[in-house]
Amino acid sequence: MDKKPSVWSSNRFWRRSATWVTGVSAVLLIFLTMDSMSQMTMGTAKDIENKVAKRIPSPVVINYKIDYQLNRKRGHEVPIIGGMDANGNSKYEEKEKFFGRDDYSEKEASELIHKGKLTIQAKNCMDCHTLLGNGAYYAPDLTKAWLDPTWNTLAAAYGGKEYAIAAFLQNPPAMAMHERKMPNLGITKDEAKAVVAYLKFMAAIDTNGFPRNFGKIKGAVDARK
Amino acid sequence: MQGSRLYEGQKLALKYFFVAVVLFGAQLLFGLLAAIQFLYPDFLFGVLDFSINRIVHINALVVWLLYAMIGAVYWLLPDEAGIEVVGVKLANLAFYILTAAVAVVVLVYLFIQVGPGKESTIWFITEGREYIEAPRWADIGIVAVVLVFLYNVYATVMKGKHTGILVVLMADLIALAGLYLAGMFYTDNIAIDQFWWWWVVHLWVEATWEVYVAAVGGYILIKTLNANRKVVEMWLWIEVAMMFGSGILGLGHHYFWIGTPEYWWEIGALFSALEPVPLVGLFVHVLYDWGKERGKGNTIKNVPAFAWLTVETFGNFLGAGVWGFMHTLPQINLYTHGTQWPAAHGHLAFFGAYVAIMISAIYLGIQGKAGLKELKMTKAGWWAITLITVGVLLMTVALTISAYVQTMVERGMYGATWEGFFVAQADVWFTQGMGWRLFSGLMVIAGYGFLVYDLLTCDKKQPAEVYEEEAAAATA
Amino acid sequence: MFEPCTDVVCSFWSILNQGPMTLTITLHTLIVLPMVWIYFDEKKKMERGDIPQE
Repeated sequence: MDKKPSVWSSNRFWRRSATWVTGVSAVLLIFLTMDSMSQMTMGTAKDIENKVAKRIPSPVVINYKIDYQLNRKRGHEVPIIGGMDANGNSKYEEKEKFFGRDDYSEKEASELIHKGKLTIQAKNCMDCHTLLGNGAYYAPDLTKAWLDPTWNTLAAAYGGKEYAIAAFLQNPPAMAMHERKMPNLGITKDEAKAVVAYLKFMAAIDTNGFPRNFGKIKGAVDARK
Repeated sequence: MQGSRLYEGQKLALKYFFVAVVLFGAQLLFGLLAAIQFLYPDFLFGVLDFSINRIVHINALVVWLLYAMIGAVYWLLPDEAGIEVVGVKLANLAFYILTAAVAVVVLVYLFIQVGPGKESTIWFITEGREYIEAPRWADIGIVAVVLVFLYNVYATVMKGKHTGILVVLMADLIALAGLYLAGMFYTDNIAIDQFWWWWVVHLWVEATWEVYVAAVGGYILIKTLNANRKVVEMWLWIEVAMMFGSGILGLGHHYFWIGTPEYWWEIGALFSALEPVPLVGLFVHVLYDWGKERGKGNTIKNVPAFAWLTVETFGNFLGAGVWGFMHTLPQINLYTHGTQWPAAHGHLAFFGAYVAIMISAIYLGIQGKAGLKELKMTKAGWWAITLITVGVLLMTVALTISAYVQTMVERGMYGATWEGFFVAQADVWFTQGMGWRLFSGLMVIAGYGFLVYDLLTCDKKQPAEVYEEEAAAATA
Repeated sequence: MFEPCTDVVCSFWSILNQGPMTLTITLHTLIVLPMVWIYFDEKKKMERGDIPQE
């Protein structure tokens, strides 16, 4: 059929191309990963003192007030730690009591975060909920759960929303808010405190504006009430 | 007597296929329980909670596909290389160890379920990370078994023939095995945790597994259609270039919202948008070969295997390609991430890309075991492929409708709060979608029943001319 | 012409990220362009008859 051999139907050409494409993609991925890793390592208490923004802040953020506000420069919402300045950046000043304290040392806070993360894995949270949007779709997303308006309505009765969340976690069916209940997973008091600390810490992670308009669309929500 | 023509490696492949089909049944059963819980949340509450059913549902899926994938390699390896699998005794031992380990892991999932928030839980009960919940001890076991598997493949190919299909498989399998290591560590930093977790999940499902499928698909084309090997291998290299070219950096579409830098938006969007291209190529290629061989008057040597391969190319393009592209751009993904969208996409993509081709490979094994030159489609086989395919398509459409509601109500109207979540979940459009999903799930399970029956009996239920040809060949 | 980067940290990659598609087009070019060279290299070898029959 074809007299002149064509490079386009040559196995050698495609084999070399495949090798090149795979190799260079892998190398690019490694460089990108190294850059991302350097930006994603957890910040330190020093960073917070020096007001250095980190994508994943130090666990001591549990001592501060956390918020989630639109940043004009970034074009989406960002976590606000310890109050917002005129440019829409974190001030790292306003503190907030967490289980009665706002002076957790870096070591204490890290231990809480460690236990919280282990508990989140040990109880298979991710197989009903999503965390940073990944997981299962049977229960609400937990990325900004710390900031959810639901807890503000319960905070007063429990002496603070951290107490309300901790009480819920220790016996969810007793505080069930919907027909689809969370089961009792045997979470202890210490584990519950640690998980709440993790939720507060996670709310301070910069997720590039996910979820969008979190708890902000008052008109639409209130219109139904 | 008939089995004696098989290589030892192929006999091992049949064992892998057997366990794969059993686990496929477990996957469907626990998927059914989870689907019921979406509609009736009190069903099995406190006994087998949704989280446990879902763990078994998705882990059984991953494990049965891996079993079938390993099985298919053991099936084609001696055939392609032209020699017995090197170290096949060790391979048999590895099979029993792996199967025992899988059984223990599943029993622990079902009966122990959760542990205290300590390192020991991560090591012995669950890692609590979607898809790779298997505790750390099992991870190490899996790595050991995979090393045996890699040794079998490499040693056999070194000694035997090096076909293009085998070369691609060798390179791909080492990447596939190596990537598993990226998921075997613990960190308090959930962003970094998920960053590496996606190295396993994405680079398996959207890169190395896809290339694996292309290689095995090429082998099935040669076996069922007598397709020209040189053409098949050329397409294989084209697909490798395009799959790895788009799939490796396409990883970026999982790095939009997990604490990663903003530049991943761009990388993820465009590279992953190109991921469907090789899938179209695969589809066109199979149909083209089919038409060409039919034009020459050649028959298909294994009709069920070829039919499932066609479902594979179609389902892969539609499920992984179209449904994936629908929500891969960050502007859209901001609202669809963490809703039923990925569930709709995931069901059709896993089915189309992997389930269908592994069933196809299992039919090749059935044909080889029976020693038949041709395998025709039986009535039960026809019911199996129809019920399963239509069931999964219907399920995908149902989940997509639910996903629209969730995105619109929870994300658009309510700004992703808990209240918004439950309002969306209670919306009648959402619950109806879940109802149709349950119905389609029952269809798939009925199809699975036909499939198992057909796999066990199809070699004895062939039309008369198949046996006549066999007899004629035997006397000639 | 050049926009200052808006990300938290301005690294090499975020500076290349100048609005829609600049970074991704750069990466695609880097990957695809050498294939042109491979093409002409193969063509040259083919015309010289260096390629053994497979």
